[in-house]
Amino acid sequence: MKKVSRRDFLKAGGLTLLGTAGAAALGQAARTVQAAPPAQNGHNHEDAMAMAVGEVNHARNGFNPTDILTDFNYGTVSTLEDGRTLREYEITTINKEIEVVPGIVYPAWTFNGRIPGPTIRCTEGDLIRIHFHNGSTHPHSLHFHGVHPAAMDGVPGTPGMIGPGESFTYEFDAEPFGVHLYHCHAAPLARHIAKGLYGAFIIDPPGGRPPVDHELVMVMSGFDVDFDDENDFYAVNAIPFHYQLHPVQIRVGETVRIHLVNILEFDLINSFHLHANFFHYYPTGTSLTPAEFTDTIMQTQAQRGILEFSYRYPGLYMFHAHNTEFAELGWTGNFEVLP
Amino acid sequence: MAERTVSSARERHFGPTTLVLLTLPLVVLGGVIWLFLTTGGGLDLIPPAPVEALTIERTILKPGQIEVVVRNAGPDELQIAQVIINNAVWPFTVSPGPAIPRLQTAVVHLDYAWSYGEAYAIRMFSTNAIPFDVEIPVAFVTPEPDSKTFLSFTLIGLYVGVIPVYLGLFWFPALRQLGRRAMVFLLALTAGLLVFLGLDTLAEALELAAAVPGSFQSIGLIGIGVVATFFLLDAISRRQTETGRSEAAQRLSVAYMIAIGIGLHNLGEGLAIGAAFNVGEIALGAFLVVGFIIQNITEGLGIIAPVLRDRPGLGHLALMGLIGGAPAIIGSWIGGFSPSPTLAVLFLAIGTGAVFEVVYEIARLIQKDTARESMPLTVFSGIVSGMLLLWVTGLLIK
Repeated sequence: MKKVSRRDFLKAGGLTLLGTAGAAALGQAARTVQAAPPAQNGHNHEDAMAMAVGEVNHARNGFNPTDILTDFNYGTVSTLEDGRTLREYEITTINKEIEVVPGIVYPAWTFNGRIPGPTIRCTEGDLIRIHFHNGSTHPHSLHFHGVHPAAMDGVPGTPGMIGPGESFTYEFDAEPFGVHLYHCHAAPLARHIAKGLYGAFIIDPPGGRPPVDHELVMVMSGFDVDFDDENDFYAVNAIPFHYQLHPVQIRVGETVRIHLVNILEFDLINSFHLHANFFHYYPTGTSLTPAEFTDTIMQTQAQRGILEFSYRYPGLYMFHAHNTEFAELGWTGNFEVLP
Repeated sequence: MAERTVSSARERHFGPTTLVLLTLPLVVLGGVIWLFLTTGGGLDLIPPAPVEALTIERTILKPGQIEVVVRNAGPDELQIAQVIINNAVWPFTVSPGPAIPRLQTAVVHLDYAWSYGEAYAIRMFSTNAIPFDVEIPVAFVTPEPDSKTFLSFTLIGLYVGVIPVYLGLFWFPALRQLGRRAMVFLLALTAGLLVFLGLDTLAEALELAAAVPGSFQSIGLIGIGVVATFFLLDAISRRQTETGRSEAAQRLSVAYMIAIGIGLHNLGEGLAIGAAFNVGEIALGAFLVVGFIIQNITEGLGIIAPVLRDRPGLGHLALMGLIGGAPAIIGSWIGGFSPSPTLAVLFLAIGTGAVFEVVYEIARLIQKDTARESMPLTVFSGIVSGMLLLWVTGLLIK
């Protein structure tokens, strides 16, 4: 890809904004928008790249992937008699129509009305209590990747698998530290995950990881909008091309930590590639020593890890799945590195 | 029966009472429809998912651009939300607008640097997440209606239609020397050829019918085309017979009918070739053209079969050759420059009706001859030979 000047980018963004405003006024939610994505102005084939037309209505969706990047839910914190920290969270499953791609509304199943669900964050050794409510029309559960008793595993046959209108409280100790995930474990599992029931679960080591300037969470997934058990669109944090339209802004020299989770259904693997840079990779985040210094990592479903890097030069840098197909079907974004 | 009693009991008299009696059922019908639309008639008819249909009329490739002409064949307005080409979500525009009204066409435009000779798969998602797929098996610049492509389509039509038909006509002097039995054999052979061509044309019409929007009821359209053509030509030929012309003149008009029937068949053939050329499915190589020439030379033979015992004159022969062959040129123009599946189905149906009517005409001619001298084996072997001839020569093309 050719380097895109900031001015070009702003022009494209402006057009998109204008189009979105117009479409929103019509109540047509960007269906009629003919937005020009970055580097897609005019007919220059050398600048052409994959891009959706228009932008989803984030307000109607009830969440914005830009906010999800840094939205960590630490729960309601209290201290137990023995001095331990207790964190309590509320999670409700909601059937919700979500505009996953501009113009295409998907009958999603969500945790708290968003995809991915809330990023649950705590510290190793905390006592975790998750008050789970099923506000949906199907049985659902929360299945956490972590260490816990079988009764808290959220699989069929355990008390955590609850019917519509029911509630259950999961309780376990937060361990081990690392970046993990949770998802619904009701059958059929593939459909329950593909419909949107997943989220990141981050356990910090006692005392935390070394401080960085930006901590971001990215959950890689896809959408099978025509229900043929194949993904039609791919994304990080649900909305295809979102960070291509709205780059993640950082500054030269600032340290960035990405908690990366892959929950992509149907496809065997997913990947993350960072342009013009290398990162330290901590698989599953269970160590404070990086395992690899690279620019591309691969994850199968439920694999996850932590990436740490900083940029030396200003500019617009892509990050995307290096399964090129996924990239061109939505799993592409940009870091905009400001001087 | 009751109808006759009524009309005979009373004088045929169209008064206000008749008018009321005629319109009353219509008024009641209107009321029933209104009641049904407002109350639903007790049926719960809300579909769980919207019914959408989008048919692909054609794809047009220009340097760096792909255009897909689509028609909304569904019951409601349809909007295209996103377009994916070869597994990449791609920016697009739709003209005249993103909302396509029922039965209207729209052009989906992609700026896309396609490569010559490669294959492309385009998937268009409607706002209801229903995918519609288009395949471009071999990409190359779609011929524009300029003089050069016009000429090349004309040449294709010439090779496939005109030349072979005229070549067949050149058998005329030689075949004139044949006896009655041989001529009946030739007539039967022609009937066999035409039965085969008719079936072939019908099959093509049915095959193409799948690509026609459901609301255009392509199968019914085929029925209308076949039946209307058959009876129209039948009426024309009966009128000519009734004017009491000589048998030779009647045979000549049958020959013209055959020319028209074969011409309509060749129009369909031209359409198919033009359309196939357009989508790159056909590499109209020398081999294929040779195949068409061999098969269509029999068509010229068929045209002259009824008039072998007469002296129709060069002018008639030339005209019949033109009627039989030239439509292939017109067909290839239409098929090449504005392929419309609906139109093609209609043309093919007309061709089918015409061809079968001509078979009927020939059967009547044969009947006249066999009335004087019974020769069942000649007729049988003629028809079967005719069909086998096309089947075998068809092996060269298909």
